[in-house]
Amino acid sequence: MDHTGTNPIKVENETIRPFAVTPPVEPGAPSDFDLMGRIQAEDPEALSQLYDRYNGILKALILRVIHNEAEADDLLQEIFMEIWNQAKNFSAQKGKPLGWMVTLARRRAIDGLRKKQAYARAEERLQSQTEQQPDAWVHNATEEEIAFSDTRILVRNVIDRLPPAQQEAIDLAFFRGMSQREIAAKTNTPLGTVKTRLELGLKKIYDGLKELKDEL
Amino acid sequence: MSFEEFQNTARLYVIGALELDEMEAFEKARERFGEKAEDCIAECYALHEAFALSLRPAKSSAAIKERLMSMVRERKQG
Repeated sequence: MDHTGTNPIKVENETIRPFAVTPPVEPGAPSDFDLMGRIQAEDPEALSQLYDRYNGILKALILRVIHNEAEADDLLQEIFMEIWNQAKNFSAQKGKPLGWMVTLARRRAIDGLRKKQAYARAEERLQSQTEQQPDAWVHNATEEEIAFSDTRILVRNVIDRLPPAQQEAIDLAFFRGMSQREIAAKTNTPLGTVKTRLELGLKKIYDGLKELKDEL
Repeated sequence: MSFEEFQNTARLYVIGALELDEMEAFEKARERFGEKAEDCIAECYALHEAFALSLRPAKSSAAIKERLMSMVRERKQG
C-alpha cells in the first residue's frame, strides 16, 4: 500500500491502480485503510473516527434515497453498526473503504425504501421538496462539508456535463434502485434508449473520474 | 461478449441496473474473462464512491453517534 492508501492490483504482469476520487485526509491522520484494519481488530475508537469522517456523506446518500430525516438517522446508525459487525468481510484488495461503505449504505437505504413500499409517498415528498427548495441539502457548512467541498465540486462537474436525460436515468438507477424497465416506464422512454443512456452516461462519468484522479 | 462490452455491462451491474436476462450473459462473460473481469468490476465500484461524494454532506444529530458507540461498546464487552 502506498502513502495515498491505495492498493495496487496485479493484472497479467502489469500493476494497475484502482482509481477513485480520494477525499482529503488531514496530514498525520490515519488513512481509511488504517481505520478499517483497527475496526477489524475491534477498536471502537477507529469506528468513532470513521463515523466523524463519513457520517455526513452517508447520511446525504441515505436521504437522497428515502427523503426522511428521522428514518435516515436511524438507518445511518444501523449502517455504522453493520460496518462494525461486517468489517471482517471488507477486503482491501477489492476496493476502498469508502466504496464499500457506500455500497452497503445504498443497499440498506434502497431495501428500506422497498420494505416500506413507500415509493409513491417518497416521490410525492421529493416532488414537493424539489418545487419548494431546489437545493434541498443546503445548510450551514460543517467541518466535514468544508473538507469535502472541493472533491464534491470536481465530481459534480463531471456529472453535470452529462445530458439531462442521461443524468436522470443514472439518478433513478443509483439513488432509487430502479431497473431499466422501471426507468423506461417512469420516463415513458423505450427500453433500448434507457440502456443506451445509462451506458453512455456511466462511461462518461467513469472516464471523467479517471481524468479527475490524474488532476488530483 | 467482447471485453469492451463487458466493461459497459459491468458499469450497469455495479449500480444494479442489469435486467435478469442480461445477468446470465454477464455472469458467463465474467467467468470467461476471469481475474481481468473481477478487476474491472472492482474499478467500476469507484462510481459508487463518486456518486456519494457528489452530494453535499448532511448533518446528523450527536445522539446518533452516542447511541452507536454505546451499542458497539456493549457488543464488544458481551
